[in-house]
Amino acid sequence: MGLTPSPESAVSYAPVSQEGWVATKLDFLVNWARANSLWPMPFGTACCAIEFMASAASDFDLARFGMERMSFSPRQADVLICAGRVPFKLAPILRRIWQQMPQPKWAISMGACASSGGMFDNYAVVQGIDTIIPVDVYVPGCPPRPEGLIYGIMLLQEKVKKERAADKTLRNEMDPDPKSQLYIPPSLIDQISEPFGNSVHQTRSSL
Amino acid sequence: MDRTYFPVLLLLGFVIVNAVAMLGLSALTLRSRPTPVKQTAYESGIPPLGDARERFSVKFYMVAVLFIIFDIETVFMIPWGAHYQQLSCAVPLVGGACPAGQISFFGLGEMLVFVAILLVGFIYVWKKGALQWD
Amino acid sequence: MSNAFQPVVAGSACATDAPAPATPRNVPLAGGDANPSAAALQRQFGDAVAGTSVVRGETNVVVANARLLDVVRWLHDDPSQRYEYLSDVTAVEFRDPEQPIEVVWHLRSLAYRQFLRLKVELPRGAELTVPSIWTVYASADWMERECYDMFGITFAGHPDLRRILMWEDYREGFPLRKDFPLRGRFSRSEQLRQALAANPEARYSMEELSVADAFADLPTEMRRRLRAGEKAGE
Repeated sequence: MGLTPSPESAVSYAPVSQEGWVATKLDFLVNWARANSLWPMPFGTACCAIEFMASAASDFDLARFGMERMSFSPRQADVLICAGRVPFKLAPILRRIWQQMPQPKWAISMGACASSGGMFDNYAVVQGIDTIIPVDVYVPGCPPRPEGLIYGIMLLQEKVKKERAADKTLRNEMDPDPKSQLYIPPSLIDQISEPFGNSVHQTRSSL
Repeated sequence: MDRTYFPVLLLLGFVIVNAVAMLGLSALTLRSRPTPVKQTAYESGIPPLGDARERFSVKFYMVAVLFIIFDIETVFMIPWGAHYQQLSCAVPLVGGACPAGQISFFGLGEMLVFVAILLVGFIYVWKKGALQWD
Repeated sequence: MSNAFQPVVAGSACATDAPAPATPRNVPLAGGDANPSAAALQRQFGDAVAGTSVVRGETNVVVANARLLDVVRWLHDDPSQRYEYLSDVTAVEFRDPEQPIEVVWHLRSLAYRQFLRLKVELPRGAELTVPSIWTVYASADWMERECYDMFGITFAGHPDLRRILMWEDYREGFPLRKDFPLRGRFSRSEQLRQALAANPEARYSMEELSVADAFADLPTEMRRRLRAGEKAGE
């Protein structure tokens, strides 16, 4: 899931063709139910939240995906939609909200700022929330159009439908290092936060 | 047993089966992964501040108790109203109507006494200021 | 607070035959009519006023650091000035290292419909301390905290000077200074590590709670702990 390292990512369960009929049908039923009733937790911080609201409104309607019931408590939510830039001050809060969501849970990173820090390559903004929580779908855009977000939601639905109960690693909680609270290696964080384009020269100070 | 209550029993059975099935099937498919942070109280992502059990004003309790009392009074009026025709007749009803000249105020009088007793209580509550919110 | 709030009607102290306020057009870059308060300040605090200029129709007055609180208090209290609204407290550091750091206050008089900008110049290498005007304007509380957080300017006499935009034990420095690189001093993973270790709601100040008027509704235990200055949370 996202950047979570999983040493047992090699297939340790039987492929679909060897599963029994009941298991396959149960998988199908459970996944269909989950995919079509994803209750979002809108973690909207900035402009993308407005586009999210527009997606939920009548013109683009998220209700047809079963997502009209927003949950502002993580306890009743299935998918965390992080819409907007996340400053470093908000990082522990986002992390805690993610950890308080019960399984099964997924995360959509909506917008450029949530996916990579966006245009804010500076001291205050987290360069992609996948450095804090495991993300399933990234929706680029500044902000993404509602159609873009809906495409991302549909991709998530496909991902959910492909899940299998035999895969025991699916519902594992992320396991941050207790000292540093990072769940991926720091070198990987630095690597994906490397500046590019206009940001390359912003590490110097003064003139 | 009266056959008219059989649908109620059926409904009760169906509700129980439905609830047990929903919870049971979920319990079979769920993968529980409790962690210490997951089980902390939710407070918008910050570590919980303060006590969950705090004192709150007695006025909420007052409203609830007064409501119950006067609501029960209203409830008692319902069977009285349903049988009012019989209660206002000195003799048993003949063919759904009261025979001429047999009108009595017994039923009405009884209810008025009941309401008057509770009215005394109501005036007491009013004067004591229990109906004042602030 | 000490005084009951008296709402001010905009323009209530202007002359009754004064023209209706209109958007100024064709404002010159420099020069033009100065705010009469600048002349009044010159008369009242002759030596404390280091200079006056008018830029794009707005009057800037440079004041000596030591007399700032007196100047601001006079501007607030004097019936002929009545600058009852503090818009902003901020600072400017120019790229030219010769120029001093300026701390700027934006004052508005709603009754007289006037705007005044006060500046104090802090030479480079000098201690970055100015008096706090919190005793005159309550809103200076958070504005001065922001100025401290971003520039490192200490406001003497401020009741609770701590960071407000960055988290309280942010160690990288003061972000809006010119010697602070845009992406911060530490590596991204180190910044994340420090951010995740911070507790952003560790301490509520008494002012923050009284603004919400929530203090009276808090449980007794919590009130006692807050009064004792105990940090909340983990």
